[in-house]
Amino acid sequence: MSDKEYIVGSNLEKALKAGYFVATGELGPPQNADRHEIERKARLLKGLVESVNITDNQTAVVRMSSISVAVILLELGIEPNIQMTCRDRNRIAIQSDLLGAYALGCRNLLCLTGDHQTFGNHPQSKNVHDLDSISLLQMCRDMRDKKIFQCGEAIKGQEPRFFLGAAANPFADPFEFRPYRLAKKVRAGADFIQTQLIFNVPKFAEFMRRVVDLGVHEQAYILAGVGPIKSLGAAKYMATKVPGMEVDPEYIERMTNCTRGLPSPAEIKAMPPKEAAEARRLRQEASEAEGIKICVEIINECKKIEGVAGVHIMAIEWEEAVDEIVKQAQIGPRYDPARQQPTLAH
Amino acid sequence: MIVAQQKPLEEIKAMIADAQKVLILGCGTCVTVCFAGGEKEVAILASQLRMATRLDGNEKEIREFTVQRQCEYEYNEMAADYIRDADLIVSLACGIGVQTVNEQFPEKLTVPGLNTSGLSQPTEQGVWVERCQACGDCILALTGGLCPIARCAKSLLNGPCGGSQRGICEVYAERETPCVWDQIYHRLKELGQLDKMMEIRPPKNWHPSRDGGQRKIVREDLRL
Amino acid sequence: MNYAKKLLAEVGLEPERLEIFFLSSAEGVHFAEIAADMTERARQLGPNPLKKIIRGQTMDTNGG
Repeated sequence: MSDKEYIVGSNLEKALKAGYFVATGELGPPQNADRHEIERKARLLKGLVESVNITDNQTAVVRMSSISVAVILLELGIEPNIQMTCRDRNRIAIQSDLLGAYALGCRNLLCLTGDHQTFGNHPQSKNVHDLDSISLLQMCRDMRDKKIFQCGEAIKGQEPRFFLGAAANPFADPFEFRPYRLAKKVRAGADFIQTQLIFNVPKFAEFMRRVVDLGVHEQAYILAGVGPIKSLGAAKYMATKVPGMEVDPEYIERMTNCTRGLPSPAEIKAMPPKEAAEARRLRQEASEAEGIKICVEIINECKKIEGVAGVHIMAIEWEEAVDEIVKQAQIGPRYDPARQQPTLAH
Repeated sequence: MIVAQQKPLEEIKAMIADAQKVLILGCGTCVTVCFAGGEKEVAILASQLRMATRLDGNEKEIREFTVQRQCEYEYNEMAADYIRDADLIVSLACGIGVQTVNEQFPEKLTVPGLNTSGLSQPTEQGVWVERCQACGDCILALTGGLCPIARCAKSLLNGPCGGSQRGICEVYAERETPCVWDQIYHRLKELGQLDKMMEIRPPKNWHPSRDGGQRKIVREDLRL
Repeated sequence: MNYAKKLLAEVGLEPERLEIFFLSSAEGVHFAEIAADMTERARQLGPNPLKKIIRGQTMDTNGG
């Protein structure tokens, strides 16, 4: 990773290679065919992060496809990270989509297995899973570095060249195997990694210790997944209903206590409408401020963990929070003091 | 073995609505062992249908017969008279049996009374869990004898995915189904074969599976 | 027993028409109690709809 040559030359790759503590963002496409919502959210992220993930039918709910949204982002001057899952497309469709994605200007690609369709709004559909995330990574790397399709046939002409990413969940089981699985993904071709949301820093630190022992952090850039908690309800939901997520009880306590002194929901119910609206607004402000504060603290702790090259900020449906987060944490192209002269176009 | 479950009574009633003489045809092999379509189940269903059609005011004549194995012509011959006498046959065999009877006696329609749903193991009395997907290219030697094609919801070859929590698969709402990759990991560990977990498995060749089309096995050494 | 009741319910008959009791031949009093209970239950449920239909058919064929 010390040579000057870039694999692909995307902004993300360049920033990581330059050694900045990088921040990436995320955007969820709409469940309709309207581009205006995307444009609104994209503008909230522009200039704040290196590049923006666009999810691919997240939780198996039908949304505008990742690649098409990426094209809209490119038009707005924002670098997209497209996502490709194995749930909906076989190897033929995937390679076909990737040829097009490259031709349309996409350069960063996350290779994921995908949430099972029973989670989504079309549980009766046929699932594909022709490949899994690891064989997908290998296929994409071979298209780029060996210029061959999955069947072994040579690609005549321009090959699709992507800076390859993968996901890692430090909190899934078997815990002892997770660092090895990450190593496997890197061996299969991952250039960068984004982890699942972290709300348990000690466990993540332990995971990173093992990852560093394996030397994986020198072969791929690891970005810690972070995000602001919007409310106490959101915190509880993540702690209890989302498999693979661990939330330190301390954060739940803080989200509970941050509205102390303010009228409770029961009291608000008894208030006249104008007062009630104001009280609700105060509660929301207090929760959101605390949620962002916790996120910034986690980011700052991740900065100190060896092997962490940056963060991936997930503020789905609350993209407005990203500006505050990167400002307080002093990261990203706009607020990182180490990047006085932005060398990259944003 | 092949396992199946009886269709809801309402669905079977709808299928026989226009027939007057109905034959319930059972099978003495797989569906007997999983208590779905054997002689006893035939008798119970016939009795229910007699009562139900009578109550509906649309009484049918329901006859019963069970053959040893419905997927073979020689055995079905024994039921020939009953079949020819009926307007409609409700087969309580697996999908293979239903189609064989249709093929052997094309002048009559044979409808399925069961939903065939798996190649399963009886893990305890009354419980059958899917174990095999008949993918045509068995990899059990690589995974400590546990099949990820059938038992992983995503048929991963390089599992487990990030949704494996405390050995349980996140896909099933009741949170009781074990994550087979967690099981494979521990089995390989016991066998001293953890290096297999680090091997990158290439994409599966799905051609020998249903994806390649209807499969046919021909053994020239056995043909007459 | 629960399974048999379920089968009856599927057909459209009241599951309460069917019951199973375990007795020894020495439990004469208990037997009488059960018989009385079931008789009362049957009265409350009314005639078996199936029998009604069969009786109706037999009466028709007899020209009644």
